Parts: sequence; C-alpha cells; structure tokens
Amino acid sequence: MTGHAVAMELTLLEAAHLSDLVGQFEDVVTSHDGSDPAVRRLVPDAYADDAEAAAEFRRLTEDDLLARRAADAGIVRASLRHDGQDLDIDQLDRAAAEDILVVDLTPDAAGAWLRTLAALRLVLADRLGVTDEEQRGDGDARFGVYEWIGYRLEMLVQALDA
Amino acid sequence: MSIASPEIDERTDLQASTSGPWQTVVWNDPVNLMSYVEHIFRQYFGFSREKAHRLMLAVHHDGHAVVAEGSREQMELHAQAMHDYGLWATVREAGS
Repeated sequence: MTGHAVAMELTLLEAAHLSDLVGQFEDVVTSHDGSDPAVRRLVPDAYADDAEAAAEFRRLTEDDLLARRAADAGIVRASLRHDGQDLDIDQLDRAAAEDILVVDLTPDAAGAWLRTLAALRLVLADRLGVTDEEQRGDGDARFGVYEWIGYRLEMLVQALDA
Repeated sequence: MSIASPEIDERTDLQASTSGPWQTVVWNDPVNLMSYVEHIFRQYFGFSREKAHRLMLAVHHDGHAVVAEGSREQMELHAQAMHDYGLWATVREAGS
C-alpha cells in the first residue's frame, strides 16, 4: 500500500492553534531532554528485559528519531502557513477565524502529518497524565485539545485508507 | 497418514527455539488510535487489511502482538520504524 495525496480542511482558528502546538512540540523534541518522560516515550526501550541492549539501541537510534520528529513538525507547520505567514492566534482576525484553510498534502507530507499528530498526542497524554484510553479530562481544557488532535488524526487515517 | 513418534523432532525443535529467530513485539498503549495502528501495520509491513486488523486487535486485547520474526538486525529495524510512528515496540528472542 502506498500513500496518496489528501486535502485537509481546517478553520484558520484550528490551524493557528495547531501551528502553535506543533511549534511547542518542536521545542520538546529538539530539547533532547532524556529526563522528560514525553521525550522518553518517543524513543522507548526496545528491549524490555535487557537494560544494556536497550541503552545501546537508544544510543544508535535516539538522535535520528528525534531529528525526524522535528523535521516532520517543520513540514506540518509549513503546510499550515497562510499567505506565506505562520498563523498567530493572537494576531488572528476574529472575523476570519472560521474561514477554511485547505491544506493539500502530498503522500510524503501526509506521512509527516500522521507521525506528528500521533507524537503530539503522546506528548499531550504525558502532560495530562493519560493512563487509560477511556479517560476523560476533569475540566482540563488541554484534554479537549488532546481529543481534537485525535479526531484530526482519525480523519486523516480515514482519508488515507479511502 | 500415520503419526510418527515426535520425540526426536522435539529435541531438534527445542534447540532451535533457544537460538531461534527474533521477534518484533508491539505493545498496547492508552493513546494511539486503533485505526492509526492498523493503518501503520498495513502501510509499513504491507499486511492485508484483515491481517493488520487482527494484529491491531491482538495488541489492544492481549496487550501485545508479535508483528514480525526474523534476524535480530531486521527486528531492530522494524522496532525503530514502529518508534518512528509513535508505537511502542520491543525486540526479543522467540520463545523468551
């Protein structure tokens, strides 16, 4: 199975929020902070019962994996530019907030979107303390963001599988 | 067809399993979407929709599933590819 081009439609407000989140995500993955559990989740142990082999595997793969997360995030942010500019929530014209931004994705860009949305959810899940898939946020607004990213990912998977 | 005594073969199998092929195992997590996991299994491994679905359900219900078997090097490449997609994968010796 090979990917194909897809188009995503977001409001400018959604796009601005997503661009901001993906920018924050880039900061997390470029920090290479091994003490951050969200970073650890993106480069998990590849050996469950062999700490030495797991450490060696991480040494060989961690930099590449995190560099790809940053590169993917850059592709996503670039595809969310509007009139050549990064969308800024604070600068967004309220009258235009519900205007639709159509994002055309090549198969490669769609792959970057898939991996970024999935990884962004992993980071948000860590920050929110998600430990159960049935979990619902206790009024934490970030939980709504987490679910919205999941919805967007689901839509993208459906479009790619169609 | 007669059923031969399996004793000699079993000894051989036992030896094979201790030095035997390696596995890539994908583990369940509370975050990744079922549709996403199935999509990745199809896209990366080239599995049929049915096989990808079955393995995804095994991950979901049993907590993990073996998605590939072969040399250690190849299983490490698969694990790294799964990590690239945000799935939690490990490498282990078959039978361990």
